[in-house]
Amino acid sequence: MGKLRLGHICEAVFWLALAAFLYIESFEFDRGIEIYKFGATGWPRALLLLVAVAAIGQFLFQFVAGDKATSGTVGAATDDGAEEAARQSGHSHFRWYVSTFCLLILPFLYMRAHDLVGMFLELDKEGIHSVKLMAAPVLLFVYLLMARGNHVGAILTLPLFFAALLEDLGFYSMAPLFIVGVTLLMGERRPQWIALTAALIMGVLLFTFVSLLYVGLPTGNISPFYDLSHWIVTMIQ
Amino acid sequence: MDPFSNFITGTVTLFSDPLGILIFFGGVVGGMLFGAIPGVSMLTLAAILLPFTAHLSAEHGIMLFSVIYCTGVYGGAITAILFNIPGAPENAPTAFDGYPMTRNGQAGKAVGAAVMCSAIGGTVSAVIMMAATAPIANWAISAFGPPEIFALVFFGLAVAATVGARTLWKGWLSILLGLMIAVVGMDPVGGIERYDFDMPYLLAGIHFIPTILGFFAVSEIFVQAERKATGVYEAPKLSVNFPSVAELIAHKFAVVRSIVIGFFCGILPGIGATLAAFMGYNEAVRWSKDRKAFGTGKMEGVISSETANNAATGAAMIPLLALGLPGGALTAMMVGVFQMHDMEPGPLVFLNSPDLVWVVFAAMFFANLSILLVGFLETKTIINLLRIPFQFLAPLILLLATVGAYAVRGLVIDVVVMFIAGVAGFFLRRSGYSVAGIVLGLILGKIGEQTFAQAMQMLHFEWTGFFNRPIAALLIVAALLTVAGSIYSAFFRKDRQ
Repeated sequence: MGKLRLGHICEAVFWLALAAFLYIESFEFDRGIEIYKFGATGWPRALLLLVAVAAIGQFLFQFVAGDKATSGTVGAATDDGAEEAARQSGHSHFRWYVSTFCLLILPFLYMRAHDLVGMFLELDKEGIHSVKLMAAPVLLFVYLLMARGNHVGAILTLPLFFAALLEDLGFYSMAPLFIVGVTLLMGERRPQWIALTAALIMGVLLFTFVSLLYVGLPTGNISPFYDLSHWIVTMIQ
Repeated sequence: MDPFSNFITGTVTLFSDPLGILIFFGGVVGGMLFGAIPGVSMLTLAAILLPFTAHLSAEHGIMLFSVIYCTGVYGGAITAILFNIPGAPENAPTAFDGYPMTRNGQAGKAVGAAVMCSAIGGTVSAVIMMAATAPIANWAISAFGPPEIFALVFFGLAVAATVGARTLWKGWLSILLGLMIAVVGMDPVGGIERYDFDMPYLLAGIHFIPTILGFFAVSEIFVQAERKATGVYEAPKLSVNFPSVAELIAHKFAVVRSIVIGFFCGILPGIGATLAAFMGYNEAVRWSKDRKAFGTGKMEGVISSETANNAATGAAMIPLLALGLPGGALTAMMVGVFQMHDMEPGPLVFLNSPDLVWVVFAAMFFANLSILLVGFLETKTIINLLRIPFQFLAPLILLLATVGAYAVRGLVIDVVVMFIAGVAGFFLRRSGYSVAGIVLGLILGKIGEQTFAQAMQMLHFEWTGFFNRPIAALLIVAALLTVAGSIYSAFFRKDRQ
């Protein structure tokens, strides 16, 4: 096996599988263009071939040299702390990846909750809103349960949850909760500091973007969050 | 009138109009601030301000955007240096050495070098722009057709593959990933939708601003958060010791080289400041006797990247004003400002609106000079952001990035894309891939494919046609030699780390 680790094999499999998947998908748009003989698929397929070549080159290199950096490259990635943090955290075993993947799926489950329920029930607009209002606390509860065993996975998932909820519940309701969540996950436990941070950040953002620059932030589309957002915008502007 | 007299007239017009002065300073401060606040960028500010320019005169609108462009490119260096979050793609190579300098307690020196070199690069570029816009534009357009631009993109990508990733292969995989992301959406020749997975959002392609914010800002927050969660986080060291004049003079060749590279890249439509910064940085490495020191906190890296990207700003105005061809996102927005005022940028602008052209030129010249003054003052305050504990800074940056991603098109899905890019960036970076390479691929992907298609049509699908055109041949040979050289180094040189 040379100097190969499981991670190296997974990396190679990932790139080759991605290239294969995208190659198969390219048949969806494999249509000729009269003035251009390579068509719409020529460029992406050439890139995918290069992806496969580079993935195999990387695999062979890892077989020979393991995790060493190649000479001739300027090793910024090795000096920006990301690899070092990964090494020191010990978050490189299979179970951690699986647990993180499960956490990361939760926001996408929320986004598709109405489609999943829609397979069994016919949903109108009100029904979709009701499903989302029920799915949000349930999935957040699951998130909190899973987050206890995977701190970094929780940090990665929270912003995705925030983004998933923005469309329905709006920036004005979700942002303060997001600030509190991130601050807590970063290790801050003093309630007065957390409250002050949330108030300051919201104050600066709302004043600069909503009041001064008239940037329309997401207001949500489910009552009462939508009404609350509009009330806040009216008050500020 | 000669360029000097025109410049004086433009300067007098600019500074005798109170509203013009207000807009000028608003642009200077706004560009620097939005460039220097992690999570938003000058493009965010430009996107927000675009509708407002309908209420301004064309002169004021274009002047505002050109000033934001000059100061915003510099401002993005501050976040690259202090937080490893480049404010714009053109600041990505600045972070390669700027951030290690911050970790080594040399943040002041890195920022000072960025201030000085941004001002020098931008000012020299503005002077050349004023002196020779028309001839340079004519030369660039006659000498650089699609085959040459494609060859330059190829050369730029070949060069960038050796920068930023752990191995050459990961460098190429990073760039190829960026190029593949750029494929999503309509193909540039036939308008056929590709990889849209029946999602209307993907028909227009994946917008580069949320993607860049995700790969740079969000992934950096995640990396730092992991360090904090595992107890290995170290707050960056604060320092305000600017570099001495002697230190800067010692790098005079790097400055001159980067000005030439930056200006050359800037005048080519679609290439712009991003490739300029990468090539400026890479040439600094190639010419250095101490190559291994790059990436660990070498001031020359900051100097090369920042001089080159600001030198591209003045040059980027040449194809825009003389030919109506935007070189990047911000110059494309300037076309929007022109159109809002029923004008088309191009040769006629010089004939019909010479006042506008020279006020814009004067404003860019003074905006670059003001980087020196306002930049030093602003830096003294911005650098204090390092004092804010990470647990309070992280939610601020994430929310600013949210606003920045959303403000561009008013779509929540852009925020989702940004955070997905952030998670992807986190996993790729911890495996030694280069997010800067991904972003460069993403930015050059569209222009690369478009110019390749145009070149092949021009050359009647004969590959050898590239070698009948001297500039294209030279660039392709240089790119192939770069690839061959890096593969040789990767396999046969023994100084692996």
